[in-house]
Amino acid sequence: MLGWEFPPLFSGGLGIATHGLVKELSNSVKISLIVPTTSEAMKVDNVNFIGLNRITLNDIALEREQFDLLLCHTELFEIPIPVSPYHWINKSVIVAEQYARKLSTEEGNEEKEAIHQIFSGNEIYGLNILSKVHLYAKLSEQIASRRNFDVIHAHDWVTSQAGVNIKQRTGKLFILHIHSLETDRSGHSARNAIYQLERTGMEEADKIIAVSQFTKDQIIEHYQIDPQKIDVVHNGIDPAETKRQSHPMKDKLVVFLGRLTNQKGPQFLIDTAEKVAAIYPRVKFVVAGTGDEFANSLETSAFKRLGNKFIFTGFLSKKQVNDLLSMADVYFMPSVSEPFGLTALEAIQYKVPSVISLQSGAAEVINSSLKADFWDTDKYANYIVALLKYQVLSQVLSNRALDELESLTWSHAARKVQDIYQGLLEAKINH
Amino acid sequence: MPSVCFYFQVHQPFRLKPYDFFKIGHDHVYDDEVKNKEILDKVSLNCYLPANQLILQLINRHGGNFRIAYSMSGTAIEQMEKYRPDVLHSFKALADTGCVEFLSETYHHSLSFLYSKREFIRQVEKHRNKIKEHFNQSPQVFRNTELIYNNEIANFVSGLGYKGIVCEGIDHILGDRSPNFLYHPPFNEDIKCLLKNYKLSDDIAFRFSDQGWNEWPLTASKFVDWVHKINGHADTINLFMDYETFGEHQGTETGIFEFLEHLPAEILKHPDFNFRTPSEIIESFDVSAEYDVHSFSSWADSERDLSAWLGNSLQLDSMERIYSLEKVIRESENRYLVEEWAKLLTSDHFYYMSTKYWNDGDVHKYFSHYDTPYDAYINYMNVINDLEHVLETKDQPFPDALCSSVARNS
Repeated sequence: MLGWEFPPLFSGGLGIATHGLVKELSNSVKISLIVPTTSEAMKVDNVNFIGLNRITLNDIALEREQFDLLLCHTELFEIPIPVSPYHWINKSVIVAEQYARKLSTEEGNEEKEAIHQIFSGNEIYGLNILSKVHLYAKLSEQIASRRNFDVIHAHDWVTSQAGVNIKQRTGKLFILHIHSLETDRSGHSARNAIYQLERTGMEEADKIIAVSQFTKDQIIEHYQIDPQKIDVVHNGIDPAETKRQSHPMKDKLVVFLGRLTNQKGPQFLIDTAEKVAAIYPRVKFVVAGTGDEFANSLETSAFKRLGNKFIFTGFLSKKQVNDLLSMADVYFMPSVSEPFGLTALEAIQYKVPSVISLQSGAAEVINSSLKADFWDTDKYANYIVALLKYQVLSQVLSNRALDELESLTWSHAARKVQDIYQGLLEAKINH
Repeated sequence: MPSVCFYFQVHQPFRLKPYDFFKIGHDHVYDDEVKNKEILDKVSLNCYLPANQLILQLINRHGGNFRIAYSMSGTAIEQMEKYRPDVLHSFKALADTGCVEFLSETYHHSLSFLYSKREFIRQVEKHRNKIKEHFNQSPQVFRNTELIYNNEIANFVSGLGYKGIVCEGIDHILGDRSPNFLYHPPFNEDIKCLLKNYKLSDDIAFRFSDQGWNEWPLTASKFVDWVHKINGHADTINLFMDYETFGEHQGTETGIFEFLEHLPAEILKHPDFNFRTPSEIIESFDVSAEYDVHSFSSWADSERDLSAWLGNSLQLDSMERIYSLEKVIRESENRYLVEEWAKLLTSDHFYYMSTKYWNDGDVHKYFSHYDTPYDAYINYMNVINDLEHVLETKDQPFPDALCSSVARNS
């Protein structure tokens, strides 16, 4: 399996999803997981951690032999590329090309040096992302070429190139798992290098797993992929013990969680807040998160004289997010394009009734939520006011949504993934 | 000599228009006029007009031996007055044959018996006047909304002078007894209960077009064969169903009209069988035993209880809220307000809020114009909020147009 984020170092949606899936799959499937960066705190049963930044290519081979003796079900390789997928600059394209040329023309020691060069020092996260993706692909290919396995399972554009490389080298079945798309992040018209990586990966893949029907539809529409090739496996969510807390404010709290980027719909958040505040003044919109729309959102809210209706918290730790959810009266997710929307499910665990956009995977799996098209701020506002005003509605929605979460487990998702493996392998044998 | 007793329910609610929070305090018109007219037009063309025409033919063809009953809610009649007088005329033509009986019910198709006896009596009276006005009949038999029934209702309705009441034939109350006889509530032989034979009724109303049903396709002769087999073990076989079964729930293409067309002749082929209306049944037969119903029963869903309207806290909350306004509504002595309030008592509003099986997309969804039960609740509560606002600011005059439209209709 080819992963990019992994908790606790990287706990974005991709990291949590990879972890949740691997944890359940490892009960019945032998997994080798290659990720760029690990830490001491990463622990999953049957996982072996290998830090590539401290070893040579020969060590990789040695480590592999040692590892094989341990007979673990799952092993974890580390290719230490410190990145966040959402920060990258155009310059990195050039750098990537340089590395690619170097890696393809020079052998042995040169390659080792290249790795050392990129892994040495504390490089800022996110720079040279494309070069890291290519390097990750190259190294993963080398690791994989020396091992025995049945299926390649890659996650998102960051590891799709690796998947393609390994498939071309080994001829194994290649599954590309899509958690989010460049067309979600950068708008439907995005046709950049990342889009190309995704598209190539999808075309090469024997099967694509989409985290929602919404994402499947996006893939069909924007990547022109045969629908037959795409299966939907909704993410699970780990059960959590939660407790409600009171807050000192007299106002009701409507909570928005997530990056402040256009994908998350901050402009619709502000328009909705304006409409809600006009008829229900005792409300505060708490905006937790940051992103390239942060300053813009702040300015717009001030311009609309809504400063006292908004609390911008900036980035919050996991603990702070949980505390906030435990005090929230409404969870609001006006995303323009949300492949899944894990935080919507986390809000449910904190018994917060939610208003979410129909353009989200979460809307498919949760019936007991109030949903509107991402642009429909009238409907959003009506729903939010109704939740603030009608106590019974809040109670019924939060209780029923919590019941619905029970069937949304990682073991269920893992079973579906395993069925996909099985189906592909059987088809290959019969072919 | 067993009789077949048909009663068809005709009902249309006044559906609320999309009423969001921003309208509260500004917009006091709640009906979705466009949608109500649209749906009545559709059902008229699919069901009421062709079915009435066919039944009129059948009555004439069988020289008065085909006899049936309707119960029409006041809200349905009112909408016909407003949008489809032609449909109302076709019902009047049926009434004129003397073979068609009209039952009594609450004008607004409400659950008022459960919440306010005073409002219940008012609505029953209003409905009687409406039936008298259009069909020149004074009903003897009562039908409570959705066949909601228990001993208390039967006794209360008996106290109002009714000789008969229709209700669901519930298996666990009947035990090994048959629904095909008249019953009476405990300690009261002044009123007779006609029990719906739900197996035979639902064969037509629900299963008729179900291709997965092992009896599909259902022909009139096959169905009548089942009916005739009951001979000797029945006084009355009560087939109660929504009138919209014909042409609307079961579309024309299913052959439901052909089924109906051949049914009377098939039934009457057997010399022991005839058709009777509910009040004729009551005059013709004696009660067989006690039908003892403590908790409320109805004909809805598989539970056949009140859970379709009062099964979750959204429904209870909104129901209690609307009835809590009764006193102040009455005190307003404003006919328009009383009517707007009473229309909000119609059971359908609460049916739309049901979360039972909603996830599976079932019959509740089929009947609802809302996307979700939550939308139904929010819309309804917003309307109540406006009504409360109007009551609080009672000096605010109502638009003349509205008052005159009420005057025209009442």
